[in-house]
Amino acid sequence: MQSVTSRREFLINTGVSAAAANFLMNLPSLQAEETSRRKQRVIFVFSPNGVIPKHFWPDQTGKDFELKRILKPLSPFKDRMMTVHGVCNQIRGDGDGHMRGIGCLLTGIELFPGDIQGGSDTPAGWSKGISVDQYLKNQLQANKETQTRFGSLEFGVMVPERADTWTRMSYAGPNQPVAPIDDPYQMFDKLYGQAKNRELLASVLDDLASDFRRVEQKISAEDRQILKDHLAMVRQLEKELNTELSQKTDQTVTHAVPKLSPNVQEVNDNMPQITRMQMDMLVHSLAADFTRVATFQITNSVGQPRMRWLGINEGHHGLSHEPDSNEEAYEKLIKINTWYCEQVAYLAKRLAETPEPGGDGSLLDNTTIVWTNELGKGNSHTRNNIPFVLVGNGLGFEMGRALNFKRVPHNRLLMSFCEAMGHPVDSFGNPNFCKAGSLTGLS
Amino acid sequence: MLRLLYRSLFVLVPVLLIGSARADEAITNRGKAIFAKQCAKCHGKTGQGVPKRYEKPLSGNVSLRQLEELIADTMPEDNPDACIGADAKVVARYIHEAFYGKSAELPRIRLARLTGNQLRHSVADLYGRFMNLAKYTDQGGIHGEYYDANRPRKDKRKIERVDASINFDFQDKGPSQGEYADTGIKANEFAIQWSGGLKVDVTGTYEIIVRCSCSFVFDLGNFSRRFIDNHVQSGDKTEFRRSIVLTAGRVYPFRLMMYQRKRKTKQPPAWINVSWVPPHGTEQIIPKRNFRSNFNPPAFSLQTKLPPDDRSYGYERGIAVDRQWDDSTTAAAIEFAQIAIDELWPRFRQMNKGPNDNRQQLRRFLEEITVTAFRGPIDDVMRNLYVNGPIQACEDDADAIKRSVLMTLKSPRFLYPLLDHDRSPSQKVANRLALTLYDSLPAQQWLRGQARENHFDRESRIRVAATRMVADYRTRGKTREMLYAWLNLSHFDEITKDAERFPDFDKQLVGDMRASLDAFLDDVVWSDASDFRQLMTADWAYTNERLQKFYGAAWKPIDSTQGLQKTGKLPHRRGLLAHPYLMTGLAYADSTSPIHRGVFVIRYLLGRTLRPPQEAFTPLSPKLHPDLTTRERISLQTSPKSCQVCHTKINALGFTLENFDAVGRYRVKEKGRAVNTLGGYTDRSGKRTKIEGPDALSSYLATSDDAHRAFVERAFQHFVKQPPSAYGSDTLDKLIKKFKDQQFNIRNLIVDIAVVAASGPIENK
Repeated sequence: MQSVTSRREFLINTGVSAAAANFLMNLPSLQAEETSRRKQRVIFVFSPNGVIPKHFWPDQTGKDFELKRILKPLSPFKDRMMTVHGVCNQIRGDGDGHMRGIGCLLTGIELFPGDIQGGSDTPAGWSKGISVDQYLKNQLQANKETQTRFGSLEFGVMVPERADTWTRMSYAGPNQPVAPIDDPYQMFDKLYGQAKNRELLASVLDDLASDFRRVEQKISAEDRQILKDHLAMVRQLEKELNTELSQKTDQTVTHAVPKLSPNVQEVNDNMPQITRMQMDMLVHSLAADFTRVATFQITNSVGQPRMRWLGINEGHHGLSHEPDSNEEAYEKLIKINTWYCEQVAYLAKRLAETPEPGGDGSLLDNTTIVWTNELGKGNSHTRNNIPFVLVGNGLGFEMGRALNFKRVPHNRLLMSFCEAMGHPVDSFGNPNFCKAGSLTGLS
Repeated sequence: MLRLLYRSLFVLVPVLLIGSARADEAITNRGKAIFAKQCAKCHGKTGQGVPKRYEKPLSGNVSLRQLEELIADTMPEDNPDACIGADAKVVARYIHEAFYGKSAELPRIRLARLTGNQLRHSVADLYGRFMNLAKYTDQGGIHGEYYDANRPRKDKRKIERVDASINFDFQDKGPSQGEYADTGIKANEFAIQWSGGLKVDVTGTYEIIVRCSCSFVFDLGNFSRRFIDNHVQSGDKTEFRRSIVLTAGRVYPFRLMMYQRKRKTKQPPAWINVSWVPPHGTEQIIPKRNFRSNFNPPAFSLQTKLPPDDRSYGYERGIAVDRQWDDSTTAAAIEFAQIAIDELWPRFRQMNKGPNDNRQQLRRFLEEITVTAFRGPIDDVMRNLYVNGPIQACEDDADAIKRSVLMTLKSPRFLYPLLDHDRSPSQKVANRLALTLYDSLPAQQWLRGQARENHFDRESRIRVAATRMVADYRTRGKTREMLYAWLNLSHFDEITKDAERFPDFDKQLVGDMRASLDAFLDDVVWSDASDFRQLMTADWAYTNERLQKFYGAAWKPIDSTQGLQKTGKLPHRRGLLAHPYLMTGLAYADSTSPIHRGVFVIRYLLGRTLRPPQEAFTPLSPKLHPDLTTRERISLQTSPKSCQVCHTKINALGFTLENFDAVGRYRVKEKGRAVNTLGGYTDRSGKRTKIEGPDALSSYLATSDDAHRAFVERAFQHFVKQPPSAYGSDTLDKLIKKFKDQQFNIRNLIVDIAVVAASGPIENK
């Protein structure tokens, strides 16, 4: 699939102004893009505390499978999704199950010894290696063709204000956790702050000029000069900003800056709204080609959201420890996981609705959502059969299937992600788990 | 190159203009005749300039007095002694009257925008308006609380003390060691909280380095602002660095929590140290004098880079209005808006819990910011423009705050502090006191209250307020900067010495010398007597072990506790001129430099003008003249007549300091021969004094009218950033007289300057 049809759009997407675009047209490095590969994107979505396998995994494998209760919200995407059963996080060493669950999930390697003591096992520190999203970011950024403004974006939803092994999934390297941004306004600032500030500045200069004139009247002629010079500069700046901004609106009509709902507090009950806000910005960032790699971390390993909007007052992690025989808890956990699935479905829907800029089809045609979790099942803390549900066609896998790999180390799946993004590796994370190579049968 | 050397030591003549007196005809005629005879060949008959000689017309706004001095000291160029004394006076008067001063502006207080420093302090205090301001104390050290638990729990607190620094190696024994052995803190599980403030003396970028084998979290500026988060001890990562811009004269709340957590696996030994690299400095454990153990309210330090200010008159002035500066004010406003959104608005809501259904609290909050930033009440037009407008324009509170703050901090009403024509006389006084003493705006309650109540209707009340304001970190910070400017210390940046000749001389020693000088300045200026003469003649200094090792037994600290301590009476060494830092800085890597030293004394300590040499010179290498003493070599090089004009003055002062070698050690012999320290000085009034040796020079400077004038003028310019004559032609003379009458009390001088600035001519009064 050819992703870019117009050079002009390509440049706009990479954030080059119209004037500069005309100039850059003639540079060989940008002429080459017409023959380039399609854009490929990957998003890792995390939800915590394991699932209820019986209501999560399809009973069948292959193309003919039925979605269980939890995965039902993904029905509209059934032919574009893949459930990957039998993939296990087999990393041992320091840290409790939840810590290794999240800390080794995308890194595939052990945690350092450290002083964070979980409910069981030995204490641990941060991960010993880079995570797959950051690895892919580095690869894509190293290549002019796949370089983007940010390289990767790390979204969060209600991640506690606490940097520890349970709250970090993404690592830029050994001992280098990457903090997700869970405040939508902060993310907005990161994405659009500079542009918005220039707009804001442009919009206040006229008012300011009026006050300059008021002030000026009261002072001596000698002193007036410095103010006159200052005001002239303000006027000049206003002119320049207006020219700059009118050009911008002309260029970016297709993906205007999203508008956030005002005054949304970061509190438990606003979680649904914050999730939407963050997802909308993620979709916009992909459309604007700010990044091709993203993580989307909903709460954290051992996350405790209280989903009162579903009529559930208990925290999620607490509930996840209840035995299967506790029917009420069991039912609530199904509901909670279904809610997470709805969020993934919403993201898929937004991607499917958004046309691929400068290309055919939609963003979802070139994006894969990898929805995962630190545990296979909450009350057993198993890291076998880690939930991996893929939606979308970014990685080029053969979708519309339920797969079962029957106990393979998850490192091999991480290797498959790298390979599918055009950057195959001999191993990812601990090489002992990579000997059999990337998984076969995905594409 | 000598020329470069001179330039680096140069600062342009301060501009002031004393109202021209009517000269009687005889004087005018005599001046005219001298001009025609000695000056016209280069400057033209009417001072219009002469091609290939001196092309620029003689006009400007240097004062008559300065012009006299300049002529006496430097003119005519080929024979400066030909026009001195009375001749110089009359010709200067003639030049000034006939053409020089024609185009000159009358001395006046010039409207200027905030300098970079003033902008930094103003936003810091705008923040402080909502958070309170630090209370002054000179007690150093940091408050340490040691807990027999893995987190701070009052009932488990076993040790509470003031630690000089944070630099501990508990090994595997925990903090219950030595005199604290019986405090019973378990070695395998404890927590320590260090809290208080970090006091900053120089504005600039600091790299702060925490090295720790355990986990810790570190807040700086606000206990809700995490500076370094090492909540997780992981692997063998033990070093954490982060840089931050901090502002002189501010104390930043500091809190570091260290945790040794009990673990099932092998426990690492517990150690920690906290150091910093100050601007242009070397890494050191943060010393006691920069810690405060008391509570300090949250503080904000602007991180935006601001362009340097015009210093062409020898002090910073906000006269350049250009795009680079404008962009920096935008960035500063955006940065402040963010902290207002993140910290001030939540704090305001906490303190003002009333209903906000119509955003009335937001309105109050923004009005408070605007009123503080504009240094006085606002009228309806301003309220609509800066408060109501932004609220109406933005649905989101944070957006409204950003818009309002951006407008307020970009407004001329904030950026030009002297645009105060619509302020009450009392408010003007408060504003100018804050500007003069703090480089800032009035933020503290009492000062705002007194301004509001029209309290400042007489000088005595202004004086009381100014005196109160001197006991403040900000004034102390600004005073320190003034002393640095007076001593031209910014040109001392990197001091290195010949490693072969001085193998023990290293960066750490330079750092100690600087700290020793700082402590000396603080001690003298903030002692009860605050006596300027002590700066010149004190027979003690501050020292530590390293300085003692290098400078000998006399530098033994009288008190053996950690950190800098006073010495006893030092032989051969009096005042700051003999301080190792100055003597080392004013020297080459392998030899002394009487020229550097002489220029320094004339220019900075005596406030005289010197012209740069006509050509560039490379100093004669000591190696080419192995038999000559430094004095002989310098005399040889500066012997040509064209050099002698200035070098008779320079060398005569520089040679008196030859008792101090290139690393500031006392000596009586150089190359086996007795050091000759004979010199002298001719003061402004023409009086010649013979001076021999450093002690005599220090004594001379302590009592010299020229030195007093230089100091008072420097102080005035630094604090007020306007020429003294703008406040009346005799302002400087009056201040000098008062200075003498009050036993050269520096603190009183600062108060007097602030009173002049606050009550002096106020335009449109």
